Amino acid sequence: MNSGPLLFLGLLATMACSWTGFVLAPQLQLGGLTQTNTVAVGDASPQTYPVAQPGLAHAGAEIYRANGCAACHTEMVRSLDLGSDLHRGWGIRRSLAEDYLFEQPVMLGSQRVGPDLANVGRLSDTNGLFVRLYDSRLITPGSVMPPYRFLFETRKIGLFPARDAIVLPFEDAAPPGYEIVPRPQARALAAYLLSLRQDGYLFEAPPPPQPKTNAVPTNAAPAKAVPAAAKPTVK
Amino acid sequence: MSAIASRTPTISRNLPQAQQAGAGASCPVGMLALFAGAVVWLFIASLLGLLNSLKFHAPGFLAGEAYLSYGRVHAAQNAAFLYGFGVPAALGLGLWLLCRLGRAVLAGPAMVFIGAILWNIAVALGAAAILCGGSTGFDSFEMPAWCAPLLFLAYLFIGVCALLTFHQRQEGRLYPSQWFVVGSLFWFPWIFSTAVLVLLCVPARGVLQASIAWWYAHNLDTVFLGFAGLASAFYFIPKLLSRSLHSHYQAALAFWTLALFGSWGGMPDGAPLPSWIISLAVVGTVLTAVPILAVATNFYQTVRQDLGALDADPTLRFTYVGLIFWVIAGAQQIVGVLPSVSSITDFTWFGVAQKELFHYGFFALTVFGALYYIVPRLLGLENSAWHPRLLKLHFYLTFLGVLISYLSLLVAGVGQGILLANAANSFPDVMRRTMMPLRVSTVGDLFVVAGTVLFLLNFAGVLVQSCRQCCMARKERP
Repeated sequence: MNSGPLLFLGLLATMACSWTGFVLAPQLQLGGLTQTNTVAVGDASPQTYPVAQPGLAHAGAEIYRANGCAACHTEMVRSLDLGSDLHRGWGIRRSLAEDYLFEQPVMLGSQRVGPDLANVGRLSDTNGLFVRLYDSRLITPGSVMPPYRFLFETRKIGLFPARDAIVLPFEDAAPPGYEIVPRPQARALAAYLLSLRQDGYLFEAPPPPQPKTNAVPTNAAPAKAVPAAAKPTVK
Repeated sequence: MSAIASRTPTISRNLPQAQQAGAGASCPVGMLALFAGAVVWLFIASLLGLLNSLKFHAPGFLAGEAYLSYGRVHAAQNAAFLYGFGVPAALGLGLWLLCRLGRAVLAGPAMVFIGAILWNIAVALGAAAILCGGSTGFDSFEMPAWCAPLLFLAYLFIGVCALLTFHQRQEGRLYPSQWFVVGSLFWFPWIFSTAVLVLLCVPARGVLQASIAWWYAHNLDTVFLGFAGLASAFYFIPKLLSRSLHSHYQAALAFWTLALFGSWGGMPDGAPLPSWIISLAVVGTVLTAVPILAVATNFYQTVRQDLGALDADPTLRFTYVGLIFWVIAGAQQIVGVLPSVSSITDFTWFGVAQKELFHYGFFALTVFGALYYIVPRLLGLENSAWHPRLLKLHFYLTFLGVLISYLSLLVAGVGQGILLANAANSFPDVMRRTMMPLRVSTVGDLFVVAGTVLFLLNFAGVLVQSCRQCCMARKERP
């Protein structure tokens, strides 16, 4: 190993190896992923999945990125055999590659100082999110989530209270005569968080099998529960 | 390969001549700028780390301003450490080792200086932009998109000089440190350009972004920083003990296997990726046991007769402690990817502890050790230029700080993982119960900051001495 060019070629080959495995091959496999159809549950018909985010949610993703929310929150639910994610009700199924088709940038995170947010849109409402952002301790005493006061504005109540002023669980959180109104960033962030819902059952993660009962089957009704049309139609 | 074995190099004999040819003749300003910038950024990074650590005592602490909120500070801390400290320190070390071991004069010292200044300006702008909300959102790749060309250009300036220096070497035989330096020199632009292209210029679709970001972060740590730190260890430990390295074969094995297996990893189990990617990452990471064992046995065989002498020299002490931390961090990484463990420890403080040990315990300590040797020689001074008490205190503070931080984060991580595995423990409850070790880790962060301040003071003192010497020499001249 005394030759510079040989050293270079060896390094290039090693690098190319890893690059092919972790950059090129996944791109070939997943790069062409498109919207698919959900597996129908019960009588529901298959839906297109995932659906594109609304514009405000897209703006909210930028707020999520800028404030480094991914430092403490992941956006992925692991399968039943890995950790207790599903038992905690963080999702109805594990996360799949399809769930992130419309995310930009994709911020899966790598640490959970706070709970997973992959399905926060299913679990929260707008006001609840605003209160959490304003001061998480109002809902969860002892929470380590910092208060994001700079996303809100405390202002004097005018002639009428603002329509979107946040409703705090405690009366005295805002001084009397004042109201707390989310700034546009907070509204966008809430829209993004509400858009996070991985609620379509897909081919790779079908709905859990219906529990067997002793009841006498009525005419062919349970058979419909997991229809054979489980294959996604790739467009 | 057989040629290497037959000519066991006695680098200790070669070095005095190299010293004159390498450092004395060329202008050291470029390398000094790299090192000084790196240490200042290390201080900034550890200060930001301390700030965020304090936020776990009181979440409302400095949370009112957007630019000081946890997520932004976290991103800025990462960027300051990796790009402010890690890359310039690796480059500076690499340049110096290439001069030394190749008995060559630094090529293009002015270009190195310009590159160093440009790099530091780019990092400063990038870090400020991150605090203003400009982070890319990818862990370890936070620098905003417009910053990337600047960083790349600066790296090119320095990298080209390094390669020219390598090309001008007078010593035909390559020493292991040179492989490691050349490896790290090439590795960074390859992974960085891939990440810039596929994450920022033409973003890949969907979850691929996450997998490429993980791949990049893993490569940056395990291979790039790993190579740079090991290059220093392979040079200083045999050199300062006046022994020859036990086995070049083992070093070559470690080098190639670290490049091969260290670059396959970083994907957490359960990530929404095809399972073959995750399996491959697990296999690659487990196989890094080969380079770890090869390096550990090689060094053990080299030093085992002089174990007592390891504490005699500050450089040796920093370097061997750093090396031990490298082995522990690597072992923890391997344990942490085993499926039975990762299902518990993934996404907890366990990974943060590992990173802390790798970054501060291994890389920063190794760089400190190297700087204690290199800086006086760049300035034409002796080792005695360092204030001995500050030096000793710096070692103990940094060592203890890293150890306290690491152990407390490890306890927090394992505790969090075990508690979370049972869905009956509510998430906020688990967080409350793991808060104590997290708060203890603040003490460690404080020690690291204090140690870095001492080093900066000592460094400034050496610079002042050098200036004074320079002025005196000028006055004496008619």
